[in-house]
Amino acid sequence: MGQTIIEKIIQNHTKEDVKPGKIVWMNLDIRSARDFGGPNVVKNYEREYGNAPLAEREKTFFTFDLCVPACSLKYADNQQVCRQFAKKMGIKVFDVDSGIGSHVMIEEGLAQAVSTVVGTDSHLNILGAVGCFGQGMGDVDITFAFKTGKTWFEVPETLKIVVKGDYAFPATAKDLTLYVLKKLGTHKAALKAVEFYGEAVKDLSLSGRITLCSMVTEMAGIIGFVPETSDSLREEVRELSGSEFSPLQPDEDSAYSDELEIDISGITPQVAAPYSPDNVRNISELKGVKIDTGFIGSCTNGRTEDLAQAAQILKGRKIKDGVTLKVVPATKRVYKEILERGILEDLFRSGAIIGSPGCSGCAEGHVGLTGEGEVQVSTGNRNFAGKQGKGQTYLASPAVVAASCLAGQIVSPEDL
Amino acid sequence: MKKGRVWKYGDDVNTDVIFPGKYTYSVLEPEEMARHALEDLDPDFARKVKPGDVIVAGRNFGCGSSREQAATCLKHAGVQAVIAKSFARIFFRNAINQGLPVLQSEEAVDSIATGEEIEIDFSSGKIKTKKGVFTFSPFPESVLGILEEGGLIPYTRKKLKGKK
Repeated sequence: MGQTIIEKIIQNHTKEDVKPGKIVWMNLDIRSARDFGGPNVVKNYEREYGNAPLAEREKTFFTFDLCVPACSLKYADNQQVCRQFAKKMGIKVFDVDSGIGSHVMIEEGLAQAVSTVVGTDSHLNILGAVGCFGQGMGDVDITFAFKTGKTWFEVPETLKIVVKGDYAFPATAKDLTLYVLKKLGTHKAALKAVEFYGEAVKDLSLSGRITLCSMVTEMAGIIGFVPETSDSLREEVRELSGSEFSPLQPDEDSAYSDELEIDISGITPQVAAPYSPDNVRNISELKGVKIDTGFIGSCTNGRTEDLAQAAQILKGRKIKDGVTLKVVPATKRVYKEILERGILEDLFRSGAIIGSPGCSGCAEGHVGLTGEGEVQVSTGNRNFAGKQGKGQTYLASPAVVAASCLAGQIVSPEDL
Repeated sequence: MKKGRVWKYGDDVNTDVIFPGKYTYSVLEPEEMARHALEDLDPDFARKVKPGDVIVAGRNFGCGSSREQAATCLKHAGVQAVIAKSFARIFFRNAINQGLPVLQSEEAVDSIATGEEIEIDFSSGKIKTKKGVFTFSPFPESVLGILEEGGLIPYTRKKLKGKK
Protein backbone atom coordinates (compact mmCIF):
# COMPACT_ATOMS: atom_id res chain seq x y z
CA MET A 1 0.00 0.00 0.00
CA GLY A 2 1.30 3.43 -0.93
CA GLN A 3 1.51 6.43 1.31
CA THR A 4 -0.23 9.79 1.39
CA ILE A 5 1.77 13.01 1.80
CA ILE A 6 1.56 13.18 5.59
CA GLU A 7 2.51 9.50 5.86
CA LYS A 8 5.51 10.05 3.57
CA ILE A 9 6.77 13.08 5.47
CA ILE A 10 6.48 11.28 8.81
CA GLN A 11 8.07 8.17 7.31
CA ASN A 12 11.02 10.36 6.33
CA HIS A 13 11.44 11.24 10.00
CA THR A 14 11.05 7.91 11.77
CA LYS A 15 12.36 4.36 11.57
CA GLU A 16 9.00 2.96 12.68
CA ASP A 17 6.40 1.78 10.18
CA VAL A 18 4.03 4.63 9.47
CA LYS A 19 0.35 3.87 9.11
CA PRO A 20 -2.81 5.79 10.07
CA GLY A 21 -3.84 5.47 13.71
CA LYS A 22 -0.39 4.46 14.88
CA ILE A 23 1.57 6.62 17.31
CA VAL A 24 5.20 7.01 16.30
CA TRP A 25 8.17 8.91 17.67
CA MET A 26 9.39 11.26 14.96
CA ASN A 27 12.38 13.54 14.46
CA LEU A 28 11.84 17.26 14.16
CA ASP A 29 13.82 19.51 11.83
CA ILE A 30 12.73 22.74 13.51
CA ARG A 31 11.14 23.52 16.88
CA SER A 32 10.03 26.96 17.87
CA ALA A 33 8.22 28.87 20.57
CA ARG A 34 6.55 32.25 20.47
CA ASP A 35 6.11 35.00 23.00
CA PHE A 36 2.93 33.01 23.70
CA GLY A 37 3.83 29.65 25.20
CA GLY A 38 7.55 30.51 25.06
CA PRO A 39 7.87 31.74 28.68
CA ASN A 40 6.22 28.54 29.90
CA VAL A 41 8.58 26.51 27.72
CA VAL A 42 11.50 28.31 29.40
CA LYS A 43 9.99 27.75 32.85
CA ASN A 44 9.41 24.04 32.14
CA TYR A 45 12.85 23.64 30.61
CA GLU A 46 14.77 25.25 33.44
CA ARG A 47 12.76 23.39 36.07
CA GLU A 48 13.24 19.99 34.42
CA TYR A 49 16.60 20.21 32.69
CA GLY A 50 18.33 23.15 34.35
CA ASN A 51 21.16 24.37 32.12
CA ALA A 52 21.49 21.10 30.17
CA PRO A 53 21.99 21.77 26.46
CA LEU A 54 19.24 21.66 23.85
CA ALA A 55 19.15 18.82 21.32
CA GLU A 56 20.38 21.13 18.55
CA ARG A 57 20.42 24.83 19.19
CA GLU A 58 20.70 25.71 15.49
CA LYS A 59 17.34 24.03 14.90
CA THR A 60 15.62 25.81 17.78
CA PHE A 61 14.07 29.27 17.52
CA PHE A 62 11.95 31.84 19.24
CA THR A 63 9.55 33.75 17.02
CA PHE A 64 7.87 36.72 18.68
CA ASP A 65 4.63 37.56 16.93
CA LEU A 66 1.75 37.83 19.39
CA CYS A 67 2.25 41.20 20.99
CA VAL A 68 4.99 42.96 19.08
CA PRO A 69 6.42 45.20 20.34
CA ALA A 70 5.10 44.51 23.83
CA CYS A 71 2.09 46.61 24.82
CA SER A 72 2.06 45.66 28.49
CA LEU A 73 4.56 44.83 31.17
CA LYS A 74 3.44 41.21 31.15
CA TYR A 75 4.21 40.77 27.46
CA ALA A 76 7.49 42.64 27.86
CA ASP A 77 8.57 40.41 30.75
CA ASN A 78 7.60 37.26 28.87
CA GLN A 79 9.60 38.26 25.82
CA GLN A 80 12.59 39.15 27.98
CA VAL A 81 12.42 35.75 29.71
CA CYS A 82 12.70 34.12 26.27
CA ARG A 83 15.51 36.45 25.13
CA GLN A 84 17.60 35.71 28.21
CA PHE A 85 17.10 31.97 27.81
CA ALA A 86 17.95 32.27 24.11
CA LYS A 87 21.18 34.12 24.91
CA LYS A 88 22.18 31.53 27.49
CA MET A 89 21.42 28.64 25.13
CA GLY A 90 22.63 30.24 21.91
CA ILE A 91 19.25 30.22 20.17
CA LYS A 92 18.27 32.68 17.47
CA VAL A 93 15.33 34.96 18.28
CA PHE A 94 13.14 36.40 15.54
CA ASP A 95 12.37 39.41 17.67
CA VAL A 96 9.42 41.81 17.86
CA ASP A 97 10.32 43.38 14.51
CA SER A 98 10.03 40.15 12.48
CA GLY A 99 6.39 39.23 12.03
CA ILE A 100 4.31 36.07 12.24
CA GLY A 101 6.58 33.11 13.01
CA SER A 102 5.06 30.63 10.54
CA HIS A 103 5.42 33.15 7.71
CA VAL A 104 8.93 34.15 8.77
CA MET A 105 9.93 30.47 8.75
CA ILE A 106 8.69 30.13 5.16
CA GLU A 107 10.47 33.33 4.09
CA GLU A 108 13.71 32.29 5.80
CA GLY A 109 13.65 28.86 4.14
CA LEU A 110 13.46 27.14 7.54
CA ALA A 111 10.10 25.56 6.79
CA GLN A 112 10.70 23.63 3.60
CA ALA A 113 8.86 20.92 1.75
CA VAL A 114 9.24 17.52 3.46
CA SER A 115 10.61 18.99 6.68
CA THR A 116 8.99 18.80 10.13
CA VAL A 117 8.35 21.89 12.24
CA VAL A 118 6.57 22.29 15.58
CA GLY A 119 5.84 25.35 17.67
CA THR A 120 3.40 26.91 20.10
CA ASP A 121 1.09 28.18 17.35
CA SER A 122 -2.15 26.33 16.62
CA HIS A 123 -1.96 27.61 13.03
CA LEU A 124 1.53 26.26 12.41
CA ASN A 125 -0.08 23.74 10.07
CA ILE A 126 -0.08 26.70 7.65
CA LEU A 127 3.28 25.23 6.62
CA GLY A 128 1.31 22.60 4.70
CA ALA A 129 1.08 25.38 2.09
CA VAL A 130 4.72 24.67 1.22
CA GLY A 131 4.45 20.88 1.63
CA CYS A 132 6.00 21.00 5.10
CA PHE A 133 4.75 19.21 8.22
CA GLY A 134 3.82 21.95 10.67
CA GLN A 135 2.04 21.36 13.93
CA GLY A 136 1.05 23.55 16.82
CA MET A 137 1.55 22.09 20.26
CA GLY A 138 1.36 23.07 23.90
CA ASP A 139 4.31 24.23 25.95
CA VAL A 140 5.04 20.82 27.50
CA ASP A 141 5.37 19.24 24.05
CA ILE A 142 7.62 22.06 22.89
CA THR A 143 9.80 21.85 26.01
CA PHE A 144 10.27 18.17 25.22
CA ALA A 145 11.03 18.99 21.57
CA PHE A 146 13.63 21.60 22.59
CA LYS A 147 15.38 18.99 24.73
CA THR A 148 15.12 15.91 22.53
CA GLY A 149 14.40 17.06 18.97
CA LYS A 150 11.58 14.52 18.88
CA THR A 151 7.86 14.30 19.41
CA TRP A 152 5.22 11.57 19.62
CA PHE A 153 2.61 11.80 16.91
CA GLU A 154 -0.48 9.89 15.95
CA VAL A 155 -0.37 9.35 12.19
CA PRO A 156 -3.66 10.76 10.91
CA GLU A 157 -5.82 9.33 8.17
CA THR A 158 -5.91 11.43 5.01
CA LEU A 159 -9.05 12.91 3.48
CA LYS A 160 -9.01 13.70 -0.22
CA ILE A 161 -11.00 16.74 -1.27
CA VAL A 162 -11.54 17.55 -4.91
CA VAL A 163 -12.55 21.15 -5.42
CA LYS A 164 -14.62 21.36 -8.61
CA GLY A 165 -15.26 24.46 -10.66
CA ASP A 166 -13.73 27.88 -10.32
CA TYR A 167 -14.41 31.22 -8.74
CA ALA A 168 -14.01 34.80 -9.88
CA PHE A 169 -13.72 38.17 -8.16
CA PRO A 170 -15.33 39.40 -5.94
CA ALA A 171 -14.84 35.84 -4.63
CA THR A 172 -11.24 35.18 -3.58
CA ALA A 173 -9.10 32.45 -2.01
CA LYS A 174 -10.60 33.36 1.39
CA ASP A 175 -14.11 32.80 0.05
CA LEU A 176 -13.08 29.44 -1.38
CA THR A 177 -11.65 28.61 2.05
CA LEU A 178 -14.74 29.73 3.98
CA TYR A 179 -16.97 27.86 1.52
CA VAL A 180 -14.97 24.66 2.01
CA LEU A 181 -15.23 25.20 5.79
CA LYS A 182 -19.00 25.66 5.45
CA LYS A 183 -19.24 22.35 3.59
CA LEU A 184 -16.94 20.43 5.93
CA GLY A 185 -17.98 21.98 9.24
CA THR A 186 -15.85 20.89 12.15
CA HIS A 187 -16.60 17.18 11.70
CA LYS A 188 -15.80 15.91 8.21
CA ALA A 189 -12.09 16.70 8.26
CA ALA A 190 -11.73 16.27 12.02
CA LEU A 191 -8.42 14.72 13.06
CA LYS A 192 -7.42 14.13 9.45
CA ALA A 193 -4.76 15.37 7.11
CA VAL A 194 -6.36 16.84 4.02
CA GLU A 195 -5.11 16.77 0.44
CA PHE A 196 -6.84 19.34 -1.76
CA TYR A 197 -7.09 18.76 -5.50
CA GLY A 198 -8.71 20.54 -8.44
CA GLU A 199 -7.85 23.33 -10.88
CA ALA A 200 -8.96 26.14 -8.58
CA VAL A 201 -6.62 25.09 -5.76
CA LYS A 202 -3.79 24.16 -8.12
CA ASP A 203 -3.87 27.73 -9.39
CA LEU A 204 -3.68 29.27 -5.91
CA SER A 205 -0.67 31.48 -5.28
CA LEU A 206 1.38 30.93 -2.12
CA SER A 207 -0.73 33.52 -0.35
CA GLY A 208 -3.95 31.73 -1.37
CA ARG A 209 -2.55 28.38 -0.27
CA ILE A 210 -1.62 29.86 3.08
CA THR A 211 -5.20 31.12 3.48
CA LEU A 212 -6.65 27.70 2.68
CA CYS A 213 -4.17 25.67 4.74
CA SER A 214 -4.41 28.02 7.74
CA MET A 215 -8.10 27.31 8.17
CA VAL A 216 -7.71 23.53 8.15
CA THR A 217 -7.34 24.18 11.90
CA GLU A 218 -10.90 25.55 11.96
CA MET A 219 -12.04 22.49 9.97
CA ALA A 220 -10.65 20.52 12.97
CA GLY A 221 -8.14 18.92 10.60
CA ILE A 222 -4.50 18.21 11.38
CA ILE A 223 -2.94 19.79 8.29
CA GLY A 224 -3.78 20.54 4.66
CA PHE A 225 -1.68 20.04 1.53
CA VAL A 226 -2.17 21.14 -2.06
CA PRO A 227 -0.06 18.59 -3.96
CA GLU A 228 -0.47 20.00 -7.47
CA THR A 229 1.68 23.02 -8.17
CA SER A 230 1.99 25.49 -11.02
CA ASP A 231 5.24 26.84 -12.49
CA SER A 232 4.50 30.28 -11.15
CA LEU A 233 4.00 28.92 -7.63
CA ARG A 234 7.28 27.02 -7.69
CA GLU A 235 9.01 30.20 -8.87
CA GLU A 236 7.27 32.28 -6.18
CA VAL A 237 8.35 29.95 -3.35
CA ARG A 238 11.88 29.63 -4.71
CA GLU A 239 12.28 33.39 -4.91
CA LEU A 240 10.82 33.91 -1.45
CA SER A 241 12.65 31.21 0.46
CA GLY A 242 15.85 31.08 -1.56
CA SER A 243 15.69 27.34 -2.14
CA GLU A 244 14.16 24.96 -4.66
CA PHE A 245 10.54 24.03 -4.03
CA SER A 246 9.90 20.33 -4.56
CA PRO A 247 7.00 19.09 -2.46
CA LEU A 248 6.22 15.38 -2.17
CA GLN A 249 3.46 13.73 -4.13
CA PRO A 250 1.35 10.92 -2.69
CA ASP A 251 1.78 7.40 -4.04
CA GLU A 252 -0.77 6.44 -6.67
CA ASP A 253 -2.10 3.60 -4.54
CA SER A 254 -2.22 5.55 -1.29
CA ALA A 255 -5.28 5.02 0.87
CA TYR A 256 -7.68 7.82 1.78
CA SER A 257 -10.23 7.62 4.57
CA ASP A 258 -12.73 9.30 2.30
CA GLU A 259 -12.96 11.31 -0.90
CA LEU A 260 -15.22 14.34 -1.10
CA GLU A 261 -16.12 16.69 -3.91
CA ILE A 262 -16.89 20.32 -3.24
CA ASP A 263 -18.25 22.35 -6.12
CA ILE A 264 -17.31 26.01 -5.80
CA SER A 265 -18.66 27.12 -9.19
CA GLY A 266 -20.00 30.63 -9.01
CA ILE A 267 -19.53 31.19 -5.27
CA THR A 268 -20.12 34.70 -3.99
CA PRO A 269 -18.12 36.23 -1.11
CA GLN A 270 -18.56 34.21 2.10
CA VAL A 271 -18.74 35.57 5.64
CA ALA A 272 -18.51 33.65 8.93
CA ALA A 273 -20.90 35.12 11.51
CA PRO A 274 -20.22 35.11 15.28
CA TYR A 275 -19.30 33.01 17.21
CA SER A 276 -17.88 30.18 15.15
CA PRO A 277 -15.65 30.16 12.06
CA ASP A 278 -17.79 27.47 10.43
CA ASN A 279 -20.94 29.58 10.79
CA VAL A 280 -20.44 30.62 7.16
CA ARG A 281 -23.12 32.40 5.09
CA ASN A 282 -23.35 33.82 1.62
CA ILE A 283 -22.70 37.54 1.91
CA SER A 284 -26.24 38.27 0.72
CA GLU A 285 -27.57 36.95 4.05
CA LEU A 286 -25.47 39.39 6.05
CA LYS A 287 -25.48 42.47 3.85
CA GLY A 288 -26.32 45.57 5.80
CA VAL A 289 -24.91 44.42 9.15
CA LYS A 290 -23.51 47.65 10.59
CA ILE A 291 -19.83 47.54 11.52
CA ASP A 292 -17.64 49.67 13.77
CA THR A 293 -14.23 48.45 12.79
CA GLY A 294 -12.27 46.29 10.35
CA PHE A 295 -9.08 44.28 10.57
CA ILE A 296 -6.96 43.12 7.62
CA GLY A 297 -4.02 40.89 8.41
CA SER A 298 -3.31 37.68 10.39
CA CYS A 299 -1.57 34.46 9.39
CA THR A 300 -4.59 33.76 7.17
CA ASN A 301 -4.66 37.00 5.17
CA GLY A 302 -1.62 39.11 5.97
CA ARG A 303 0.51 38.72 2.85
CA THR A 304 1.26 41.37 0.22
CA GLU A 305 -1.31 39.93 -2.17
CA ASP A 306 -4.00 40.19 0.53
CA LEU A 307 -3.15 43.80 1.36
CA ALA A 308 -2.96 44.66 -2.36
CA GLN A 309 -6.47 43.23 -2.80
CA ALA A 310 -7.73 45.57 -0.08
CA ALA A 311 -5.73 48.55 -1.36
CA GLN A 312 -7.24 48.16 -4.81
CA ILE A 313 -10.66 48.75 -3.31
CA LEU A 314 -9.59 51.47 -0.89
CA LYS A 315 -7.47 53.45 -3.35
CA GLY A 316 -8.78 56.97 -3.81
CA ARG A 317 -11.64 56.41 -1.35
CA LYS A 318 -12.18 57.20 2.31
CA ILE A 319 -13.19 54.86 5.10
CA LYS A 320 -16.62 55.83 6.38
CA ASP A 321 -16.74 58.35 9.22
CA GLY A 322 -16.94 56.61 12.56
CA VAL A 323 -15.41 53.37 11.22
CA THR A 324 -11.78 52.37 11.78
CA LEU A 325 -9.67 49.96 9.76
CA LYS A 326 -6.59 48.26 11.16
CA VAL A 327 -4.14 46.81 8.64
CA VAL A 328 -1.23 44.67 9.75
CA PRO A 329 1.34 43.09 7.42
CA ALA A 330 2.25 39.49 8.31
CA THR A 331 6.01 40.11 8.27
CA LYS A 332 8.66 42.77 7.90
CA ARG A 333 9.21 41.56 4.35
CA VAL A 334 5.54 42.10 3.53
CA TYR A 335 5.79 45.58 5.07
CA LYS A 336 8.73 46.34 2.78
CA GLU A 337 6.82 45.10 -0.26
CA ILE A 338 3.72 47.18 0.43
CA LEU A 339 5.95 50.18 1.03
CA GLU A 340 7.84 49.74 -2.23
CA ARG A 341 4.74 49.00 -4.29
CA GLY A 342 2.75 52.01 -3.11
CA ILE A 343 0.16 49.81 -1.40
CA LEU A 344 0.98 51.32 1.97
CA GLU A 345 0.23 54.81 0.68
CA ASP A 346 -3.15 53.76 -0.74
CA LEU A 347 -4.07 52.16 2.59
CA PHE A 348 -2.90 55.14 4.62
CA ARG A 349 -4.67 57.71 2.46
CA SER A 350 -7.94 55.81 2.76
CA GLY A 351 -7.70 56.28 6.53
CA ALA A 352 -6.38 52.87 7.61
CA ILE A 353 -4.19 52.44 10.67
CA ILE A 354 -1.02 50.46 9.88
CA GLY A 355 0.29 48.25 12.69
CA SER A 356 3.71 46.69 13.06
CA PRO A 357 4.01 43.15 11.59
CA GLY A 358 2.63 40.31 13.69
CA CYS A 359 -0.51 38.43 14.65
CA SER A 360 -2.22 41.60 15.81
CA GLY A 361 -6.02 41.36 15.58
CA CYS A 362 -6.10 37.68 16.50
CA ALA A 363 -3.96 38.18 19.57
CA GLU A 364 -5.56 39.42 22.70
CA GLY A 365 -4.55 42.99 23.30
CA HIS A 366 -2.60 44.04 20.25
CA VAL A 367 -3.82 46.57 17.67
CA GLY A 368 -7.00 46.91 19.63
CA LEU A 369 -9.73 44.76 21.08
CA THR A 370 -13.46 45.07 20.57
CA GLY A 371 -15.57 46.43 23.39
CA GLU A 372 -19.00 45.16 24.34
CA GLY A 373 -21.41 45.72 21.46
CA GLU A 374 -18.64 46.63 18.99
CA VAL A 375 -18.90 44.88 15.63
CA GLN A 376 -15.77 43.95 13.73
CA VAL A 377 -15.26 42.45 10.31
CA SER A 378 -11.92 40.68 10.14
CA THR A 379 -9.75 38.68 7.77
CA GLY A 380 -8.67 36.48 10.69
CA ASN A 381 -9.53 32.85 11.18
CA ARG A 382 -11.44 32.71 14.47
CA ASN A 383 -14.44 34.57 15.83
CA PHE A 384 -15.04 32.70 19.07
CA ALA A 385 -16.69 34.65 21.87
CA GLY A 386 -14.05 36.60 23.76
CA LYS A 387 -11.30 35.92 21.23
CA GLN A 388 -10.83 39.56 20.26
CA GLY A 389 -12.61 41.23 23.14
CA LYS A 390 -16.27 41.42 24.10
CA GLY A 391 -17.57 42.47 20.67
CA GLN A 392 -18.75 40.41 17.71
CA THR A 393 -16.44 39.41 14.90
CA TYR A 394 -17.38 38.47 11.34
CA LEU A 395 -14.74 36.74 9.20
CA ALA A 396 -14.33 37.67 5.54
CA SER A 397 -11.84 38.30 2.72
CA PRO A 398 -9.59 41.39 2.56
CA ALA A 399 -11.76 42.67 -0.31
CA VAL A 400 -14.97 42.36 1.71
CA VAL A 401 -13.40 43.93 4.81
CA ALA A 402 -12.12 46.86 2.75
CA ALA A 403 -15.48 47.38 1.03
CA SER A 404 -17.35 47.07 4.32
CA CYS A 405 -15.15 49.71 5.97
CA LEU A 406 -15.99 52.11 3.14
CA ALA A 407 -19.70 51.42 3.48
CA GLY A 408 -19.89 51.13 7.29
CA GLN A 409 -21.74 47.85 6.87
CA ILE A 410 -21.07 44.42 5.46
CA VAL A 411 -21.09 44.71 1.67
CA SER A 412 -19.50 43.00 -1.29
CA PRO A 413 -16.96 45.04 -3.30
CA GLU A 414 -19.33 44.95 -6.26
CA ASP A 415 -21.95 46.86 -4.25
CA LEU A 416 -19.80 49.97 -3.89
CA MET B 1 -13.26 2.51 40.13
CA LYS B 2 -13.41 6.22 40.78
CA LYS B 3 -16.73 8.01 41.21
CA GLY B 4 -17.25 11.46 39.85
CA ARG B 5 -19.99 14.00 39.32
CA VAL B 6 -20.63 15.08 35.72
CA TRP B 7 -20.46 18.54 34.16
CA LYS B 8 -21.94 18.14 30.69
CA TYR B 9 -21.39 20.51 27.73
CA GLY B 10 -22.04 20.49 23.95
CA ASP B 11 -19.97 20.28 20.75
CA ASP B 12 -16.96 22.43 19.81
CA VAL B 13 -16.04 23.66 23.29
CA ASN B 14 -13.04 25.84 22.39
CA THR B 15 -9.96 26.65 24.44
CA ASP B 16 -10.91 30.34 24.64
CA VAL B 17 -13.87 29.41 26.84
CA ILE B 18 -11.93 26.72 28.72
CA PHE B 19 -9.18 29.17 29.68
CA PRO B 20 -9.65 32.83 28.64
CA GLY B 21 -6.90 34.38 26.53
CA LYS B 22 -6.66 37.40 28.82
CA TYR B 23 -4.93 35.27 31.47
CA THR B 24 -2.54 33.44 29.16
CA TYR B 25 0.16 36.10 29.29
CA SER B 26 0.68 35.77 32.99
CA VAL B 27 2.81 32.81 33.90
CA LEU B 28 0.41 31.56 36.53
CA GLU B 29 0.63 28.78 39.04
CA PRO B 30 -1.66 25.83 38.20
CA GLU B 31 -3.88 26.44 41.24
CA GLU B 32 -4.58 29.96 40.06
CA MET B 33 -5.29 28.68 36.52
CA ALA B 34 -7.85 26.32 38.04
CA ARG B 35 -9.79 29.28 39.43
CA HIS B 36 -10.48 30.47 35.85
CA ALA B 37 -11.37 27.07 34.37
CA LEU B 38 -14.34 27.26 31.96
CA GLU B 39 -14.89 30.87 33.03
CA ASP B 40 -16.51 31.96 29.76
CA LEU B 41 -18.62 28.81 29.33
CA ASP B 42 -19.91 28.11 32.81
CA PRO B 43 -19.06 30.67 35.51
CA ASP B 44 -20.29 28.24 38.21
CA PHE B 45 -17.80 25.56 37.30
CA ALA B 46 -14.64 26.85 38.97
CA ARG B 47 -16.51 27.69 42.19
CA LYS B 48 -18.34 24.38 42.50
CA VAL B 49 -16.06 21.77 40.93
CA LYS B 50 -14.89 19.04 43.32
CA PRO B 51 -11.92 16.70 43.03
CA GLY B 52 -12.91 13.68 40.96
CA ASP B 53 -15.57 15.47 38.89
CA VAL B 54 -15.81 14.54 35.21
CA ILE B 55 -16.38 16.76 32.18
CA VAL B 56 -18.55 15.20 29.48
CA ALA B 57 -18.87 16.91 26.10
CA GLY B 58 -19.70 16.45 22.43
CA ARG B 59 -17.47 16.56 19.38
CA ASN B 60 -14.21 18.47 18.90
CA PHE B 61 -13.61 19.32 22.57
CA GLY B 62 -10.69 21.70 23.02
CA CYS B 63 -10.61 23.21 19.53
CA GLY B 64 -8.89 26.53 18.89
CA SER B 65 -5.75 27.99 20.40
CA SER B 66 -2.89 25.69 21.40
CA ARG B 67 -2.80 26.99 24.98
CA GLU B 68 -1.55 24.35 27.38
CA GLN B 69 -3.45 26.09 30.18
CA ALA B 70 -6.74 24.65 28.89
CA ALA B 71 -5.58 21.20 30.00
CA THR B 72 -3.63 22.40 33.05
CA CYS B 73 -6.55 24.36 34.51
CA LEU B 74 -8.91 21.36 34.27
CA LYS B 75 -6.41 18.97 35.79
CA HIS B 76 -5.70 21.28 38.69
CA ALA B 77 -9.41 21.99 39.19
CA GLY B 78 -9.50 18.32 40.17
CA VAL B 79 -11.17 16.98 37.02
CA GLN B 80 -10.35 13.26 36.88
CA ALA B 81 -11.15 12.83 33.19
CA VAL B 82 -12.81 14.41 30.18
CA ILE B 83 -15.15 12.17 28.19
CA ALA B 84 -16.09 13.48 24.75
CA LYS B 85 -17.28 12.24 21.38
CA SER B 86 -13.99 13.50 19.96
CA PHE B 87 -11.12 15.81 20.88
CA ALA B 88 -9.25 18.47 18.94
CA ARG B 89 -5.74 17.10 18.62
CA ILE B 90 -3.70 19.83 20.25
CA PHE B 91 -5.88 19.68 23.36
CA PHE B 92 -5.77 15.87 23.28
CA ARG B 93 -1.97 15.96 23.31
CA ASN B 94 -1.81 18.65 25.98
CA ALA B 95 -4.17 16.67 28.21
CA ILE B 96 -2.12 13.49 27.90
CA ASN B 97 1.10 15.43 28.41
CA GLN B 98 -0.42 16.90 31.59
CA GLY B 99 -1.58 13.48 32.76
CA LEU B 100 -5.29 14.31 32.33
CA PRO B 101 -7.14 11.27 30.91
CA VAL B 102 -9.21 12.04 27.81
CA LEU B 103 -11.70 9.33 26.87
CA GLN B 104 -13.68 8.99 23.67
CA SER B 105 -17.09 7.33 23.67
CA GLU B 106 -20.08 8.60 21.68
CA GLU B 107 -22.51 6.25 23.41
CA ALA B 108 -21.40 7.18 26.90
CA VAL B 109 -21.70 10.88 26.13
CA ASP B 110 -25.23 10.44 24.76
CA SER B 111 -26.36 8.53 27.83
CA ILE B 112 -24.85 10.70 30.55
CA ALA B 113 -26.80 13.60 32.07
CA THR B 114 -25.27 16.60 33.78
CA GLY B 115 -25.01 16.24 37.53
CA GLU B 116 -25.16 12.44 37.60
CA GLU B 117 -22.48 10.37 39.29
CA ILE B 118 -20.50 8.04 37.07
CA GLU B 119 -17.64 5.63 37.66
CA ILE B 120 -14.60 5.23 35.44
CA ASP B 121 -12.42 2.15 35.45
CA PHE B 122 -9.24 3.09 33.63
CA SER B 123 -7.68 -0.36 33.73
CA SER B 124 -10.59 -2.14 32.06
CA GLY B 125 -11.66 0.84 29.92
CA LYS B 126 -15.21 1.07 31.29
CA ILE B 127 -17.53 3.93 32.15
CA LYS B 128 -20.46 3.05 34.43
CA THR B 129 -23.44 5.39 34.16
CA LYS B 130 -27.09 5.32 35.27
CA LYS B 131 -28.07 3.89 31.88
CA GLY B 132 -25.42 1.21 31.59
CA VAL B 133 -21.77 0.39 31.16
CA PHE B 134 -19.85 1.79 28.20
CA THR B 135 -16.37 1.01 27.00
CA PHE B 136 -13.75 3.43 25.70
CA SER B 137 -10.84 2.47 23.50
CA PRO B 138 -7.80 1.78 25.66
CA PHE B 139 -4.82 4.08 25.19
CA PRO B 140 -1.98 2.91 22.96
CA GLU B 141 0.98 1.72 24.99
CA SER B 142 3.20 4.72 24.26
CA VAL B 143 0.51 7.12 25.47
CA LEU B 144 -0.41 4.99 28.46
CA GLY B 145 3.19 5.24 29.64
CA ILE B 146 2.93 9.05 29.61
CA LEU B 147 -0.40 9.03 31.48
CA GLU B 148 0.83 6.57 34.08
CA GLU B 149 3.81 8.77 34.90
CA GLY B 150 1.48 11.76 35.31
CA GLY B 151 2.48 13.55 32.13
CA LEU B 152 5.19 13.95 29.50
CA ILE B 153 7.69 15.77 31.72
CA PRO B 154 7.78 13.17 34.53
CA TYR B 155 7.77 10.50 31.81
CA THR B 156 10.81 12.08 30.14
CA ARG B 157 12.55 12.56 33.48
CA LYS B 158 12.20 8.85 34.12
CA LYS B 159 13.34 7.95 30.59
CA LEU B 160 16.37 10.23 30.76
CA LYS B 161 17.32 8.75 34.16
CA GLY B 162 16.99 5.25 32.75
CA LYS B 163 19.48 6.14 30.01
CA LYS B 164 22.21 7.23 32.40
